[in-house]
Amino acid sequence: MIPDPPPATPPPVPPTVPTPVPPTPVPYPDWERLDRRMLLIGPVRVIRQFAFPAVIALIGIGTSDARWSLGLLPALLVGALALGALPWLTTYFRRTETQLEVRRGLLHRTRVTAPLDRVRSVDLEASLLHRILGLSTVTIGTGVDDTRIELDSLSAERAEHLRVTLLQRAAATSTSGPAPSQAEEGQIVDPHAGPMPEGQDATPGSPAPAVAAAPAEELARIDWKWLRYAPFSLSRLVIVAGAVGALSQFTDELPLDRAESAWAWLLSQALALVLVGVAAAALVGWLAISMGGYVVRWWDLRLVRQDANLRLTAGLFTTRSTTIEEARIRGVELTEPVLLRLVGGAELSTLATGVGSGGTTTILPPCPLPVARGVGGAVLEDPRPMAATLRQHGHLARRRCHVRAQVPTLVAVLPIVAGAYALGIPGWLVPVAVLLLAATGVITGEASYRHLGHALTPDHLVAGSGDVSRVRTALERDGIIGWVVRQSFFQRRLGLATLVATTAAGPEQVQVVDLPLAEAVALAEAATPGLVGEFLDARFEG
Amino acid sequence: MTTQPTDGPPPTLREPANQVSPRAVSYWRLTAGIGALVTWLALAIGYAVLPQRPWWVTLLLVLVVGATIVHLVLMPRIRFRVHRWEVTPTAVHTRAGWLSREERIAPLSRVQTVDSAQGALMRAFGLMSITVTTASAAGPLTIACLDSVTARAVVAELTEITGSHEGDAT
Repeated sequence: MIPDPPPATPPPVPPTVPTPVPPTPVPYPDWERLDRRMLLIGPVRVIRQFAFPAVIALIGIGTSDARWSLGLLPALLVGALALGALPWLTTYFRRTETQLEVRRGLLHRTRVTAPLDRVRSVDLEASLLHRILGLSTVTIGTGVDDTRIELDSLSAERAEHLRVTLLQRAAATSTSGPAPSQAEEGQIVDPHAGPMPEGQDATPGSPAPAVAAAPAEELARIDWKWLRYAPFSLSRLVIVAGAVGALSQFTDELPLDRAESAWAWLLSQALALVLVGVAAAALVGWLAISMGGYVVRWWDLRLVRQDANLRLTAGLFTTRSTTIEEARIRGVELTEPVLLRLVGGAELSTLATGVGSGGTTTILPPCPLPVARGVGGAVLEDPRPMAATLRQHGHLARRRCHVRAQVPTLVAVLPIVAGAYALGIPGWLVPVAVLLLAATGVITGEASYRHLGHALTPDHLVAGSGDVSRVRTALERDGIIGWVVRQSFFQRRLGLATLVATTAAGPEQVQVVDLPLAEAVALAEAATPGLVGEFLDARFEG
Repeated sequence: MTTQPTDGPPPTLREPANQVSPRAVSYWRLTAGIGALVTWLALAIGYAVLPQRPWWVTLLLVLVVGATIVHLVLMPRIRFRVHRWEVTPTAVHTRAGWLSREERIAPLSRVQTVDSAQGALMRAFGLMSITVTTASAAGPLTIACLDSVTARAVVAELTEITGSHEGDAT
């Protein structure tokens, strides 16, 4: 460890408030610094950030006066060094009995204080550079919102130690009593708002209990047979599309329009060959990119449960480790994107509070559906939500699905007719095109109806959704913090409603679409007994 | 292993007990009227500068103006009829909308903040809106345009009830 000199500023938050029962006034631990090796990473990062504009500037200046640019180079380097060292120089943190405090900033100083019993998740991430130097970035998620505390970086051992102790502490305090934390909202306490309440119910006198690490239960591990699903997951297609777009800029240079009569036939043959070649290259490229990306991201994937925490580790170059307090996982979402579904694959993510990135964490790569189902059931500790048959929403809901699916057809009719007229395309093609569109609409409409549904298991509300891909969301009934019954003008005419269960976890809501109104109310009442009951019509009570 | 809703008469939500202030009707009409005036002004200018006025442009103009008038006459009344609220010792229930409907229920044990808001126009009418939020961004409950005296009482009541709950309401 590093012998850190205490900073010049006196430790703030003097215990001016008379604490109720301080058995032994625990001295504040010294402020700690980030790892010294950050002095290497910081400048590299700054240089990488500014390299491109700097080079451009240098070239710009260089054309006018070459000596200028050479003189500027050392100045830039020194600047980068200073700027890169700044985070290390100005960041301090310490862990007291009850809270984690982080101080940072040179001119604009900020201080973040997070009660330890609010720690929900701890992520460790190490890029290749970090790994070479033996460092890890620690990101701590607290409370219900997206504000996360980042410590970039600590040595790998210190980071791991921090992760274990923070989460043990969180687990210990949240199981120590029925009311683990205060009712107030502020998870991140502003130090300027006043002194911290000292008398927290954080069981003073019992220092972080050294809970013996329980044996880890492995829920999932990468199986390279799953690699065959990688090309069917389109999440990386965006990157490829971007590359193709950039390449297509050069196609203007091809002499396609210079085909004159003698060359025409030959060229058209060549064109076909070129197209086949391009298609084959695209396919091979796609296989390489998708599988390569899969390997890089999910290398050595392990999902384990330990000490009431769920821990995910993966990564080939950049290793990531995400640890979420299990009590904060309110549900899971099983997604079968359309292509993946054709080959029997699925993806799985968890819905949790206080984990950042919209509350959802992808915990399984594209993998066989039974595996995703099994792991989902293991995470929920109940296989039923993943297996339950969904109750469908009836013929009115089906009608709405089909009507919705035909909207694009209606919108497209006018442009098709106009286009055919303007380009002189034979008239019989117009009804064919419209019919094709309508047929696609029928298929997607029927599919979206089939995917629609809901179920209620003893502990979970399960909602089915999705147009072409199938999504099953299971939400812990205990995590439902309110209901919204929504009826659009058209839904009202059909007596249907959209039932929204609001929650703090994941995307903060789970929707059950196009449910008959009475069924929506009954479902809400059954899922959270007593909450809706007092607002039921008197005729139906009892 | 799914629990299906029990058979018998289908349950429905009853109306929340209270209506908002009757002055809300005038307030909604005034704000809608201001919007309508701006629309009409823009349309009139556009119509005036047109070089020629085919019959269908005139028809469109008449239709739009007619629609805003219907909106002005019907919307505030329907909205007042639909918009209801109720606070019980354990939960809040609101209903809102005029063409579409939205009912929201939140248990007070999960309430995080109780806000009240009053714009300049609302103050002139003596109205106040209350927004009750939970830990979910999807679930804020708004009671728009309460009588400001009632609103203050409701805020005080809600703050007292929610203050007595423990836990972090997630």
